[in-house]
Amino acid sequence: MTMLDDGRLSALFAHAAAAFEVPPGGVAEIVERANAPVREQPADDGPDDAADESDDGGRTATGRVRRLVSTARRHPVRAVAACLVLVLVAAGAVGAAVRASAPSPVLTSGLPHAPASAPSAPTRTGTVPQKVAPQAPFGAEPNSSPATGGTPVTTPTAPPLPSGAVGQPAKIEQSGTLGLSVRRGALRTTMTQLNGLATAYGGFVASSQTQSGPGAGGAPSGSVTLQVPVANFDAALKGAQALGKTSSLTTRATDVTAQYVDLQSRISALEQSRQQYLTILAKATTVGDVLAVQAQLDSIQSQIEQLQGQLQVLDSETSYSTLAVTVTEGAPPPRPVPLPESGVVRAWHDSTDGFLAGVEGAIRIAGPLLFALLLLAAAVLGGRALWRRYQRHNL
Amino acid sequence: MVEQRLEEWLEEGYVASFRTACLILGNRADAEEAVQDAFLRAWRFRNSLSGVPSIRPWLYRVVVNSCYSKLRSEIPHRDRRADDGPLAHLPDPTDRGADPELRAERSEVAETVLAALQRLPVSLRVPVVLRYYADLSERDIALAIGRRQGTVKSRLHEARRRLADDPALSALVGEAGDTLEEAGR
Repeated sequence: MTMLDDGRLSALFAHAAAAFEVPPGGVAEIVERANAPVREQPADDGPDDAADESDDGGRTATGRVRRLVSTARRHPVRAVAACLVLVLVAAGAVGAAVRASAPSPVLTSGLPHAPASAPSAPTRTGTVPQKVAPQAPFGAEPNSSPATGGTPVTTPTAPPLPSGAVGQPAKIEQSGTLGLSVRRGALRTTMTQLNGLATAYGGFVASSQTQSGPGAGGAPSGSVTLQVPVANFDAALKGAQALGKTSSLTTRATDVTAQYVDLQSRISALEQSRQQYLTILAKATTVGDVLAVQAQLDSIQSQIEQLQGQLQVLDSETSYSTLAVTVTEGAPPPRPVPLPESGVVRAWHDSTDGFLAGVEGAIRIAGPLLFALLLLAAAVLGGRALWRRYQRHNL
Repeated sequence: MVEQRLEEWLEEGYVASFRTACLILGNRADAEEAVQDAFLRAWRFRNSLSGVPSIRPWLYRVVVNSCYSKLRSEIPHRDRRADDGPLAHLPDPTDRGADPELRAERSEVAETVLAALQRLPVSLRVPVVLRYYADLSERDIALAIGRRQGTVKSRLHEARRRLADDPALSALVGEAGDTLEEAGR
């Protein structure tokens, strides 16, 4: 390096550089372009430049779009890959949203799938929409108006029994279950009002239970069983329904007239037998006869008392009706999806279900595919970055 | 304040930056574009200069990055025009008053130096040009190319060794040493 020292190198480079003609208007052109609007300025060459490490913040949204377009033109493969990833992410998001919003059938009625026309003698039940089925007095014909939506309600559809058909008024056992949904925080108030309702209609509260914490349904709930006179059952039911939004209603009526009359007949017959045995007992002369007749009298008396007890139970059951009310905080559960009734409707539903199943399948496949594509994109971008770093390192 | 400093440097440093880019790229048109892009970018991002202790190496870094961009992405994919080759515009038209023989000798020297520089890899060419033409210190070169000072030192050493081993350049130095000294003066 004796011949090519630093001074000679500088002289050589200066000599070679001086051979290049300097553009006469170079600085003026740069100043002119620098003072031009942002859109006329050239796009950046990427993140490699030291000047790109910070932004002046003065660029407009249009400038960003132009810069993006310019970058996409320079890197078409990466632009297409980015678009593909965006489309897949959007598809995945839409699929997740569709799945989250898909309704799931929830059964709310006590007997949702029971055939509406299946009789269970002596009780008859049927399902009619609540909003078009005003609480008819027991024994009246049910409202047969077409359904207009609402909570499924099971109401009695038994025809009225003719009073005195068997020589005395009909004996009917009546009961009902009511599901109420109240707003959040109103559970305690509603339970108190239900207790007052029983007293107001001449009844009493048979049982009551309140669950303050989230129950099985995920919200605080409570249940109360009211015993009210049969004559006030309808009024009590309406009063209870007014306390919240009815989510389900089931009423049941059981005709126990025949059983009641049978008990009365058997008691009457036993009383006649007892009277005859008493006559025989009065005519008995020996101790053996007296003891034998007395044993028969004791047996008859026991049967009479047993039957009279059953009769009193029936009297009680037909005098007071039972209304079980379940109160839940929050929104009522969704209505059950009615089954299509005709073949065409069923076919349409099958078709849409199949289509949705196909979409779900595509979305289900899109998840792993998207993951694989993301991995691939990350690998490509990482490899490209490393390659560029390697190139820069060797520059 | 920063804008004023930058504007002054742009005015004063354009010739040096342009010729530095010429030595790195070996092409006048590419150098003109690179310097223009670099100066525009420097002006656009002038706000980031507030935290920079010295503007000169920062601006050279912008120029060098612009040259890197040309070398990496544009020049390899472009058909070079025959009339715009690396040594096109070598005769200095401003030097019309000089002796024709001396002008021819200078042109030959410039061609030889440029050819020797183009034979160097870019990783060695850039620091040696910044050191011996732009007269940057090793520390400023490290800032300009984004490498450690030790790396710059080793690259300068390797570049000097390769230039010394270049037979055409050695012959030129041996034959035209006096002319060089005169031209350097």
